[in-house]
Amino acid sequence: MSWQRQILRVNLSTGECKVEPLNMEWAEDYLGQRGLGSKYLIEEMDPAADALSAENKLIFATGPLTGTMASTGGRYSVITKGALTNAIACSNSGGKFGAELKHAGYDLLIIEGASEKPVYLHIEDDQVELCDASEVWGKTVWQTEALLHAKYADPLMRFASIGQAGENLCRYACVVNDLHRAAGRSGVGAVMGAKKIKTIAIRGTVGVKSTDPAAFFKIVNEVNARMTDRDGMSRDGTIDMIDVTNRFGSLPTRNNRDVQFEGAEKINAEAMHTPNANGHTNLVTNGACFACTIGCGRISKIDPSHFSVKDKPEYHGASGGLEYETAYALGSACGVDDIDAATYAGFLCNEYGMDPISLGGSIAAAMELFDIGAISEETTGGIKLEFGSAEALCAITELTARGEGFGQDVALGSKLLTEKYGHPDLSMSVKGQEFAAYDGRSMQGMGLAYATSNRGACHLRADPYGHDFDTTEIEGKAAVVKDSQDEVSFIDSSGLCLFPGGCGWTMDDYRTLVAAACDGDWSEQRMHLTGERIWNLERQFNLRAGLGKKDDTLPRRILEEPAPSGTGKGLVCRLDEMLPEYYALRGWDTEGVPKPETLQRLGL
Amino acid sequence: MQVTVKLFGALRQYLPAGSSFNSCELTTAERPMLHQLLQMLPIPDHKAYLVILNDEKINEQEYASTQIEENDEVVLLPPIKGG
Repeated sequence: MSWQRQILRVNLSTGECKVEPLNMEWAEDYLGQRGLGSKYLIEEMDPAADALSAENKLIFATGPLTGTMASTGGRYSVITKGALTNAIACSNSGGKFGAELKHAGYDLLIIEGASEKPVYLHIEDDQVELCDASEVWGKTVWQTEALLHAKYADPLMRFASIGQAGENLCRYACVVNDLHRAAGRSGVGAVMGAKKIKTIAIRGTVGVKSTDPAAFFKIVNEVNARMTDRDGMSRDGTIDMIDVTNRFGSLPTRNNRDVQFEGAEKINAEAMHTPNANGHTNLVTNGACFACTIGCGRISKIDPSHFSVKDKPEYHGASGGLEYETAYALGSACGVDDIDAATYAGFLCNEYGMDPISLGGSIAAAMELFDIGAISEETTGGIKLEFGSAEALCAITELTARGEGFGQDVALGSKLLTEKYGHPDLSMSVKGQEFAAYDGRSMQGMGLAYATSNRGACHLRADPYGHDFDTTEIEGKAAVVKDSQDEVSFIDSSGLCLFPGGCGWTMDDYRTLVAAACDGDWSEQRMHLTGERIWNLERQFNLRAGLGKKDDTLPRRILEEPAPSGTGKGLVCRLDEMLPEYYALRGWDTEGVPKPETLQRLGL
Repeated sequence: MQVTVKLFGALRQYLPAGSSFNSCELTTAERPMLHQLLQMLPIPDHKAYLVILNDEKINEQEYASTQIEENDEVVLLPPIKGG
């Protein structure tokens, strides 16, 4: 039993910090992390409230396996109403912060209200204080960590912070922990910025206790041994998929005008490994989150002679490098094949606290607006915002990070940006959240997954990959998407990472670890029911927030413009055929509302 | 004849020694069938992959009837998960 059985509640309006018992009945029904955090959110706030108001809550939630030695057991989620989407947001991160929160003695941290002045939260086990943040407000994530590490003289203190992007309410600001891991999506950092809380500084020494440590470790070791296919991920990271999706024809390129990128070989795993003409190699080493036995993270250096950092020695050191999604968003989506420029833009995302997927998607939309003449150099402040321009990518990223000039428009996200300039069809987003690195025409199941994702377009809310690579025919895809959404909901609520699922683990391995960490009988049936319950709970939040069937859709480009090449050449996403089947499988009516018998079956 | 075969992602571990980052040259009989070419690679039977021949996806039931020509490009893609 690895729960701490308590939560920490911090009210920024009153300054009160108090410890409460964890609602164990809810933990039985919703597990932890994503599911449990969502339950607290929907019970405690009006989903119709403004995401940036004091009524919104910001919940940092761990799972039962967070902070244990189960492989990848370092995950936590930030659950709130998203500033980018106005839907439920649940943004998942690794690093070491989540384990530290658990080790300090808390399963959940609930932040409510809003502060009048900038503050930060300092937690050392049961010592909790809200502190004046004037010394770090206006600083970057990296500066904030350095200043507070020095102040507390504790190199093991962990931080989850916003940068200037969060302070400036950039719609896709993220929460960055451990310098370059992030709860990245949906604008959770903007919610933190609106509450005027700069960082959460945690040192935990309580640890996580198991009622039978020997039995727990035996299971952990047995399950870890079944992760037999991790070498590729350790060596090459997720960026290895650039070649795969590019060849398949599902790598979004130039704002999804194309699905294959002629410059892919300059931003792929081989490019990270291979010295350039100056003898500089982008990849330094790999990195792992707490308790992880994969180590997919990339640690990179930018070529010091590259134009982006030539006179900026502060960027010559090693930091979080390109993953698959960042290589897509800051590479092919913008038509940019300059690995150093993309790495620099990625560094800025970590430093200033921006989601690179939404940033890249927003810049790609701006580039298309520029291409069709809807905006000009006059609009952009003199920047020739052309597809393929590494210089423009870096310049716009800098402006957006600092909230200056045209960067303020890019910080709105692609939906509001393209609406502002009269071309809303050019936003490659769902529920306001930009696409991830897969095109929904050659990958029809991914199209359905994007459209139905509760947090807006997302590649990590379902697992249609295998089926999509097998066939572009739509038969069976609704079931694959529905079932895998439920499975992912369960994993996201456990404290574990999704990636072991690509390295040899099955759902039964996740179930086995959850059963080892929790009381009761965690059968396969209960696992699936829990995942389905969580998905429907999130759907209820969105319905109460005013979202519905009208939001379960895709941009016109994906529905009407055939893919120009690749295995999906000539195809559009057949969402209109898949969606009714999906609703029926979910036990929802034709408007996407769960039927009473569905809610009753799930105990909702 | 010589055929260039590219293995991407996790399949790269099955490239013969001395291969470049993601491709190898295989010496084959004249105009082999695709399944004969694939048998030359040490990929375990249980490993799933997708074959792209000159940018066209080839279904598994077509492996035995697909002839490889000089200068063809054969690409093997592994199943992927989100990242």
